Order: sequence, then structure tokens, then C-alpha cells
Amino acid sequence: MNSYDVVIIGGGVIGTCTAYYLSSKGVKVAVVEKNDIASGTSGKCDGNILINDKKPGFDTLMAYKSQQLFKELEKEIEYNFDYSQRGSLYIIESEDEWDVAREYVDQQVEDGYSMRMLSKKEIHEQEPYLAADIIGGIEIDCDAAINPMLLAYGLAVEAEKSGADFYNHNKVEDIILNKEGSVEAVITDKEKLYTDNIINCAGVWAPKIGKMVGIDIPIKPRQGQILVSEKTFPVGKRKIVEFGYMMAKFGGEDYSRDVSPELEELGIAFVFEPTLENNFLIGSSRAFVGFDTDISFEVMRGLAKRAVRFFPVMENINVIRAYAGLRPYVPDHFPIVSDVKEVPGFYIAAGHEGDGIGLSPITAKLITQMICKDTLSIDVEKLSFSRFSNNQNY
Amino acid sequence: MIKREAVVIGAGPAGLSAAIEAAKRDADVLLIDESLKAGGQLFKQIHKFFGSSAHRSGIRGIDIGKELLEEAKKYGVEIWLNCVATGLFKEKKIAVEKSLDNQNKTAEIIKAEKIVIATGASENAIAFEGWTLPGVMGAGAAQTMANIHNVLPGEKILMIGSGNVGLIVSYQLLQAGAEVVGVLEAAPEIGGYGVHAAKIVRAGVPIHTSTTIVEARGDEKNGVKEAVVCDVDDCWQPIKGQEKIYEVDTITIAAGLKPLMELARMHGCRCDFIPQLGGWLPLHDKNMETTYPGIYVAGDSAGVEEANTALEEGRLAGVAIAESLGYIHSNKASSIKNEIWNRVDGLRLGPFGESRLEAKEKIIKTFQ
Repeated sequence: MNSYDVVIIGGGVIGTCTAYYLSSKGVKVAVVEKNDIASGTSGKCDGNILINDKKPGFDTLMAYKSQQLFKELEKEIEYNFDYSQRGSLYIIESEDEWDVAREYVDQQVEDGYSMRMLSKKEIHEQEPYLAADIIGGIEIDCDAAINPMLLAYGLAVEAEKSGADFYNHNKVEDIILNKEGSVEAVITDKEKLYTDNIINCAGVWAPKIGKMVGIDIPIKPRQGQILVSEKTFPVGKRKIVEFGYMMAKFGGEDYSRDVSPELEELGIAFVFEPTLENNFLIGSSRAFVGFDTDISFEVMRGLAKRAVRFFPVMENINVIRAYAGLRPYVPDHFPIVSDVKEVPGFYIAAGHEGDGIGLSPITAKLITQMICKDTLSIDVEKLSFSRFSNNQNY
Repeated sequence: MIKREAVVIGAGPAGLSAAIEAAKRDADVLLIDESLKAGGQLFKQIHKFFGSSAHRSGIRGIDIGKELLEEAKKYGVEIWLNCVATGLFKEKKIAVEKSLDNQNKTAEIIKAEKIVIATGASENAIAFEGWTLPGVMGAGAAQTMANIHNVLPGEKILMIGSGNVGLIVSYQLLQAGAEVVGVLEAAPEIGGYGVHAAKIVRAGVPIHTSTTIVEARGDEKNGVKEAVVCDVDDCWQPIKGQEKIYEVDTITIAAGLKPLMELARMHGCRCDFIPQLGGWLPLHDKNMETTYPGIYVAGDSAGVEEANTALEEGRLAGVAIAESLGYIHSNKASSIKNEIWNRVDGLRLGPFGESRLEAKEKIIKTFQ
């Protein structure tokens, strides 16, 4: 009989990282994954480890703690997952944006984060390929990048070393609860795994798993597309994001960018990520199209147009590939990292939308602390599953 | 968004004949090709074709190309050259990068009711030390340089692979004035037709079987200087200590072709791995239609064969499209298609054709 202390459902970065932390504490863990490691969202995204797209306060704190954990992971994990801390840069297009940015930086600096405004002269000295009309920027020191697929594999390998079992190509078909309504077993198309604890790390598929224990998890797939450039010279030195990205992400109603209605409709905001091999990734787009992961020409063109607006030199650089992934969207933009009162032994670690890679270590750490009844690194009230039943506005 | 009844991607023998057969029956046909000139590989084929008289044996590919272009013009096929199909998006939308004046590129979407993918094949590469040095190239690329652009790819050439491409291109490089120091073949026997092999052997070019290349030496600036070759054992592994060195400036690789089927795969047409026909290719039925209705495939992109088969497969697709658009009655269409199928079967006879015939029959059976 296969029996585990904890069964993790989902082999993306959240699942593998949780398996890593739990198994390194001696907990007997199984990871059940319907395809293979990083075959879902973790294999179709970029590798952001950012605070720059977080709101000041709790949001930023959580991301910052996660960044610190990445520094540890880089030392602990044998597998090289392309960690690089090159910082990030916001680019500011207008005086209106400058004012909002100024406020944001003042707040973050007051909270102790290392960042500064760059004048027009400074930003063009640092990033010579930037469009001439950019009026300034924000430089953030702690932001970093990794390769998510390598990370997930690296974590899985380490977890295996500590005794975790991976059941890849195992599709969860049902979850059995005992008479008291607590977790008893996970049934896949191939195995039956007995356990007292299940962690639902299934990302956009988390609601499906939730239904098996009778709960509604308000996660929706939100599609994002990314372009990959050919190998080229270093166009930009670090992660570069248009300031309007933050507005697009949080849906700032009172703020509008100077973009065509088409770009606005496709939810396109410029995000640039150089890779260690000197290809670069161009994002970002957002669309609710169900579980569709087909790329679309309109979005590709929109991404390219927006990229050329900020880096005119990209007009002559070829795109070699494009891909779409599904981000697990939650209406209030906070992930769910929580136990579930109604189903003892059932936990959720999902719903990170575009922040899953960056928040994977802190998420995994928190869930591990919950299971091991250790002190929590941060207050998790905002991440609780019960917030949805307490407040109908979600 | 531009709209067309039928769009044919690739103006080689398959694409041209598909476009002609559909346009001849009044379909509105747009033919696009990435090159500056239509004709695909035909204009490189300065040699005479074999086969029966029904298949224009004795005629050179280059002349077939000229005839097809004239026919296409006669039936009003619209041709966009210098136009690359960069993607095939959902519901038969073709993304193209167009550059009519060769300066300003534009990206557009063409929505087509019917699409023929006739994108041909790409050359297989083999990896060995130094394989990225300037001077190591595909045999097809060398043929394009010599026969289309009138540029000799090198003076002293080593050919890797003795299939028909390796043999014919070796002969054409000789004709163009290069020295071909030898043809290597890893298999114990020559891959291509005896008649092609005999021609180059008569011209003094040795063919070394059970031999492979292990290294290209030279530098990035001046390119290839030497080729290190080696005998192989029964398992095709180089036998240590048997290395020989050739002084050459060019190494051409004729290691087979694989179908260019990315567009079909991108659209979700079901594909299968068929080694006899070059590898991954889209499954199709007897009308050359893929598993996605309205998307057809013809020529090497439907399985690597030769120009005559490509012409016939293109015709099948063209007639089937005219039929499904209602330009030709299905009885009439069937009899035309049957005639074509009889000719295609004729092309797949003999020791070289049989395995292709079996593979194609399997594809059509799998499809059903």
C-alpha cells in the first residue's frame, strides 16, 4: 500500500518547491503530475523574480522574502537554474507616469527597499537602445530572473534525493475523504495513494481538484503570450518593464496609456527579459480565453509593436518562437496559500497569476510551515481560502 | 484581413500544379513563395528526368518549371513572391511577411477557404566536429549556389552521402568546374541510382562506402581546410586508427531531406513519423486533405519523394479543391483523380518506389 505523509498535486514550480522543502524536513512526500515536471504554466512563462510589479506593503514584502529564499536555493540546489540578479528597470513615458512613479518609489524606499528614480539622461546612458523620448525610469536592485523549467527540475531532483516520490503521467481522478470528512487518499488513473494531507498545487487546474472535495476555488485561466527573439547583442541589460504594466496588471481604471485601442483590448504591456544566452523574451498579454494555449497573430503583432515602441532597434531583430501559457488568475490578485477548514488535511497553494515563479519559494515555505506546524514567515490572512466565503465581493 | 478562396503556400512543382489545377477550373487562387522566383527546386534541376513518357522523361526540371509558370499565368493564378508564410493560425488564417519592393516588410493575415501546404523539404544536417565552419553546407545549398546564382561554392569539394542528391549534385559541381575529391557513404552500398553513380565514377570521382566524416578542420575566418574521414564498422561507428585526411575547402552534406511540415503541425493537423518518407509529416487522405478540413498538403511536405510525384500530388490537391468549392462535378473530379492516382502508382514502382508506396498506403489507411 502506497502511503505518504503528504501528497502534492501538480509538478510545476509550486509543487516541486513544496516537495523540496517538505522532504528536506523529513516529511514523506509524493508528487502527482498529470504530464511531466513543468509541463503546464511553469513551462510556458518567463522567469521573473520581481518586486517591481508588486504593490507596496504586504505584496512587496512577500515577493522580497521569496527573493531571499531564491538566493538560498541557488546555493542548496545542485542543478543550475540560471539565477541572475541583474535588477530591473521601469520605463516611464509621460509626466503623469513620472508623478505616480515618484510616489511609488518614495513609499518603497521608506519601507526599506533599494530603488531610485533615473533621470532622462541617466536612463539613456544606461540603456542606449531605448527610444529617445523616454523621460526616465525606476531602477530596482533586488530583482532577478531564473529559468523556470530548470528550477522545477532542479527542485524535483533535490526532493527525490530526500526521498520524495514523483508520480508523473498520473492524472488525479478522485480524492477519497474518510467518514469525518478528512483527506484519506488520492486516486489517479494508475495509483491509489493514501495520505492525511493533500496540497493542491495544480495552478489553473486547481478548481478541478477542488471539486473532488466539494469546494469552489475561484481561479480562472488567463492566457499570456510571449515572443522569443533570436540570439543577438544585449539590447537591454536587465529586466525592463513599461510602467503602464503595473496599471494593466491591477486594472487601474483612472489611468490610461497612450496606446491604440487594439493594444489596450489585448492587454498588452511591454515586458523585456534578457536570457543568459542573449535571446530575449518579450511579453506581456492577458486574455480570458479558457484553456486555449494557441498563440494568435494579433497578439504577436501587438507585442512586437509595443516592443519596437520602446526599443526601435528591435525592428530588425527576428522572432524565432512564440508561446502561450495559462496564468492562474484570482480576482483579488493574491494567491491562495491556505488550509481549507471544510476539508481537514486539504491545502491549496495556487492562484499566483503572473507571479508564480517569483513567489514559488515563499509559497512552498509557508505551506511547509503550516503542515509542520512551525511559525509562519509572514501573516497569511490575505492568502487564506476562507477570504472568499467571508466576503462575497471577491 | 485579406480573403481568398484558395491559397497555395510554396511555388515548387507541387504548389504550382495545385494552383494551376484549381485556377483552371475558375477557383480564385493565390500562390505565395518566399523566393524571388517561382519554381522551387525545379530551376536547379538542370539534369534530365527519368521515368515513363507520361512523366516527361528526358525533360529537364528547369524546362518543366518554365512550362508551369506559363500555365499558371494563363489561368490567372495570382503569385506573390518574396512572401514568407510565418504561421498558420486557427481557422485557416495564414500569417505572411510580405516585401514587395524588397525593402519595406509588412505582416498580414490571409484568411483562406482552402489551403495547400506545398512547402517542400529541408536538408538534414549531420553533426561532427567543425560542422559549423564556413564551407560546410547542404548539398542542396551548393546546388542552388551553382545552378541558380552561378557561384561555385568551392574548388575542392567532399560530398557526404551517395543518395541521388549527393550523386547528381556532385556531377553538377564537376560540370560547374569544381573538383569533387570523393563521395562518402556510411552505408555499405551506394544510396542512389546506379546510372547517376556511374556518371561520376566515369568522371574519376571515387565513392567510398562504409565511410563517414568525423571532423572538419579549419578556422572561422578562412573556413574549411581539411576533412577527416574514417571507415565505419557494421554498427556505423568510426573505426579508430582508420582516419584519412582530405585537403578540401568545401564539405557538402547530402544526408537526406525531411518534410517542412511546421505549418500543418501548428494548425493542429495530425502528424505521424514515417521514416521512409523523411520523418514527421501531416497525415492525408486520397484528396491530399489533412485531418483539418480544407487544409491540403502536397509534394515533399507530404513525404519526401521526387519532382514528378510532387507534381501529381499537387494536381490531386488542386482538383480536390476545385471540387469542394463546387467548380467541378464530383463524377468528373473522381475520374480525373483516378487518372492521376494511376500515374502516381506508376511512379512508386521498383525497389526505390515500393517502400514509399507502402508508407503512403499506410498513411491513407491510418487517416481513415
